Amino acid sequence: MRILEAKDLKKVYGTGEYAVHALDGVDLSIEKGEFVAIVGTSGSGKSTLLHMLGGLDLPTKGTVIVDGQELSKLKKEELTIFRRRKIGFVFQNYNLVPVLTVMENITLPIRLDGKQIDETYLQEIICTLGLEKKLNSLPNQLSGGQQQRVAIARALAAKPAIILADEPTGNLDSKTSQDVLSLMKVTSERFSQTIVMITHNEEIAQMADRIIRIEDGKIAIRG
Amino acid sequence: MLRVSNKTCIRSLATKSFRSSKSRNCIAILAIALTTILFTSLFTVGLSLNEGFQQSNFRQAGGYAHGGFKYLTQEQFQELQHDPLIKEWGVRRVIGMGTGSAFRKNHVEVGWANANTAHWMWLDPIEGRLPKEGTQEAATDLEVLRLLGVEPKIGAKFTIPIALNDQQVTEQTFTLCGWWEKDPVVVANHILIPEKRVNDILKEENITLPTKDKLIGSWNMDVMFQNDRHIEKNLNTILKSHGYQCEEPGDNYINIGVNWGYSNAQFAEKADAMTIIFVFTLLALIIFTGYLIIYNIFQISVVHDIRYYGLLKTIGTTGKQIKAILRYQALLLCIIGIPLGCIFGWFIGAKLCPLIFSRLNGIMVDTVSASPLIFIGAALFAIFTVLLSCAKPGRTAAKISPIEAVRYMEGEKKEKHNKKNKQSKAKYSNSFSLFHMAKANLGRNKGRTFVTILSLTLAVVLLQATTMFTNGFDMDKYLEKFSTCDFVVSDAEYFQNNWSLYGQSMDSEIISAIEQQGGIVDSGRVYREALVVQDFITEDWYRKQNGRFYSTEEIDEFVKNAPRTAEGLMVGEAQTYGMEDFALDHLDVYEGDLSGLYEPGSHEIAAVYKKDDYGNISLDSHWAKLGDTITLRFVEEWEYYDPKTGVTCTDSQKIEAEKLPQRPTVYKDIDFTVTALVDVPQSFSYRYYGNDEFVMNADTFKELHGTANTMLYAFNTTKEANGSMEAFLKDYTNNINPDDDYESKTTYQAEFNKFRSMFQILGSLLSFIVGLIGILNFVNAILTGILTRKREFAMLQSIGMTGRQLKKMLIYEGILYSLGAVLLAFLLFLAAGPMAASVLSTIFWFFTYRPTFLPLLVIMPIFALLGCIVPLLVYHCVSKQTIVERLRETDY
Repeated sequence: MRILEAKDLKKVYGTGEYAVHALDGVDLSIEKGEFVAIVGTSGSGKSTLLHMLGGLDLPTKGTVIVDGQELSKLKKEELTIFRRRKIGFVFQNYNLVPVLTVMENITLPIRLDGKQIDETYLQEIICTLGLEKKLNSLPNQLSGGQQQRVAIARALAAKPAIILADEPTGNLDSKTSQDVLSLMKVTSERFSQTIVMITHNEEIAQMADRIIRIEDGKIAIRG
Repeated sequence: MLRVSNKTCIRSLATKSFRSSKSRNCIAILAIALTTILFTSLFTVGLSLNEGFQQSNFRQAGGYAHGGFKYLTQEQFQELQHDPLIKEWGVRRVIGMGTGSAFRKNHVEVGWANANTAHWMWLDPIEGRLPKEGTQEAATDLEVLRLLGVEPKIGAKFTIPIALNDQQVTEQTFTLCGWWEKDPVVVANHILIPEKRVNDILKEENITLPTKDKLIGSWNMDVMFQNDRHIEKNLNTILKSHGYQCEEPGDNYINIGVNWGYSNAQFAEKADAMTIIFVFTLLALIIFTGYLIIYNIFQISVVHDIRYYGLLKTIGTTGKQIKAILRYQALLLCIIGIPLGCIFGWFIGAKLCPLIFSRLNGIMVDTVSASPLIFIGAALFAIFTVLLSCAKPGRTAAKISPIEAVRYMEGEKKEKHNKKNKQSKAKYSNSFSLFHMAKANLGRNKGRTFVTILSLTLAVVLLQATTMFTNGFDMDKYLEKFSTCDFVVSDAEYFQNNWSLYGQSMDSEIISAIEQQGGIVDSGRVYREALVVQDFITEDWYRKQNGRFYSTEEIDEFVKNAPRTAEGLMVGEAQTYGMEDFALDHLDVYEGDLSGLYEPGSHEIAAVYKKDDYGNISLDSHWAKLGDTITLRFVEEWEYYDPKTGVTCTDSQKIEAEKLPQRPTVYKDIDFTVTALVDVPQSFSYRYYGNDEFVMNADTFKELHGTANTMLYAFNTTKEANGSMEAFLKDYTNNINPDDDYESKTTYQAEFNKFRSMFQILGSLLSFIVGLIGILNFVNAILTGILTRKREFAMLQSIGMTGRQLKKMLIYEGILYSLGAVLLAFLLFLAAGPMAASVLSTIFWFFTYRPTFLPLLVIMPIFALLGCIVPLLVYHCVSKQTIVERLRETDY
């Protein structure tokens, strides 16, 4: 089942002589349950692609379809709501809300949606990610790896259609990176989650089911 | 420690970081300007008051020369004027007093004055000039011209009789060459003529100088010294160095005068503890208000730039230097903010001055002080506030370690401290809501939140206090004390607490005019003394009465020489009233019975006891007790005598030099029985204190004084006639006889309202400016709160918080701030209101506590609105950037 599809995606920053083609016609389609890594050097356009896929930014041209919904057809507020239901984000710098506890951070997207929390599912995520003892801590009391695990838990909590991870291990040492990544892989399998991960680290990319290489705003190699 | 010259480096660093934080600078400049406005207007009012007080003293003293030598001969004058101590001198020779029917009520001095003296006495012509020597010219004030019925026109001729002494009066004609406005505070009117004319008149009248009493024709020299310190000492030194003295009558005796306007001119010196406390409270309040915001601004900006300071530290900037950088920026802000504040503050102060001064009796202020002291003072205080405010932010910046700076999170320590609390509370907080999040956000930096709320609270408290204070002004209490009946009519000077009318009767024409108006329900006269009345008192009472005014040594001296009666009693001065029935009806009887006083010819008398503002009789305010038989002495003639020898003295020079006492020669002693102890309402009283007062029947009074000097005429009118009577009196006293004046309930009501509105305006203005500062602080807190969380918001939105939810959260934050302030103010008032009220009612006797929370109710929606609008506006500016742009920003 095709969960994510991008057609002829283009993103141009600036105009005329100064126009920068961050994305120059990207076609992409990802099946449900896939763990895909997008690799590329800095400036290759991989972050822009991720932002487009997540509806954080609008493409200059082309369409993104997530779980059957074309993103460009949504209004701004609808897009946000769609995002919190269907897309989970994991960022390089964790981006946790500093004033909320781990538990509150994890459940934030569900509660922003005003939904009831699926307690058993939540407990499962928390156990899988090994966060049982840290639930009442504040983000700044955690190590980098722990914070990233909280971010992953948060991304999973709303049972999204897809998780987009932007350099999730970029701030972590290699040992912790490996831990976090295997956790991502495990959860992706256990909860049959689709994960799209951006990285510039080939070694990490190798853990994905499929590697998409992007260069100068175009897809170079499909894994 | 090595001393290196790094000032330029620090300065350039400071200037560069200064330039980079524009929005902070704008807010900080505004805050500093507002703080300075408060200081400047306070100082403007204060200094104007002080100058006004001094000015009015001079005007009462009749001039502002430092001092002078009186009644000199020409030789003495020529000898003394060259003394090196004298910086400037002026001279005046009086030829006599203007008399005649036109000047019945005025003291008009005719004489010559040189330009200096004329200037020092404010006799500067507004039209024309001073008289020229060798002409028939004269210059005078417009009041004299009005009294003479002379059109103020250059060249107009007028003739006046001049009394040269008790016997000689001469008619003289002058040509008007200039005039000036008569200052109502200055006692005497003047007609200035050329010196030669003075000599001519003396020659005409065969008067040779010096005359016996030296009053006319003599040279009076006014002098100015280098400064106004040691005036008396300087005068004495001059006399001594020329072989004169002012102690003993004799050939070398010269009378001196010190302008008392200089000796007690400083309002500040006379200010009582209340005033000082009031001023200091205001100063502290302003410093505190300023501190709240300026501190907040700098604290926020330091936290904001903490990585920058960390970086500076990494490359070797010392904590001291970082503090210096911050201080330097603060001073740069002052350079812009303070002058702005000074200018606006001065204008506000200038507008306030007349408002405040109109409330202070006896101080006439027509100019607002522009003394540089105001601006220097305000600037210093503002700089002090600014430096005080950036001290702690400076320490924060200076203390930061380079490593910490990178990871620095505001309020980190506090959060750790609260860990345990939080763990027990936050477990499975299903209570999650945007409100909860907003609350948590404010808790991020409790200090800043508190300072912001406090700063807003201050404005609310001030407004609330002002309202409560002015609301508590009790008109009924006020009127009860001051206004006894509908109308009181007398001389204008009676109402101005003027002593000069001793022994004169008020204008009787106005009384008949009033009676013709009709509508009078009841009326009566109060008579004032025509003769000096003495009473006989014990030495103890004498000491007690005079102890307030004289030192023990002085009193010992008086007591030693004072004459005594056979019983060993001393002689005191009594102040007696003759009252008609209407006035007697209004006396407040503490004890005894007044009925005897209604009988014409009765020798029953009431002793007047004082009452404090709270209506309590003060039992030791009079010596006469109920049932006492007392003797009063009505004195008709006096003589001077030497207390050492008991010999009568007529030598005027000796009398003046030794300040010889007087004793009665023709008098009658009358016995009275004290049948009542009473209080005379303020509106019927002499309006000055110090002597023992008695009330007796009007007819008895007139008979004993041999004349009927009406002090005032009081009456009630019917309700219908009240308005027309008010209009009639207003017109009469303005147009028909301006020497008459009146007081009515309406006058007091107006006065009361003026008094109240002064506080209202002052309080509202203060609350407004403090409120402005509070709101500025609020905006700043919200603004930085949003700017620093730009990325956090982007992240929240990326994980699915809608713009609507985000705005809602921000509004909750804003409302928490603003309503927190209102709530805090409310609690403060609940707690401190009654206490403050009891303090106020001891200070202001006409204060009644009436709790009101109206201002809070009015402010609540305004603040709630602010709480909504400010975050929305700020967010609106921020949200123009896309989420991605905001996410990307790693440095703010």
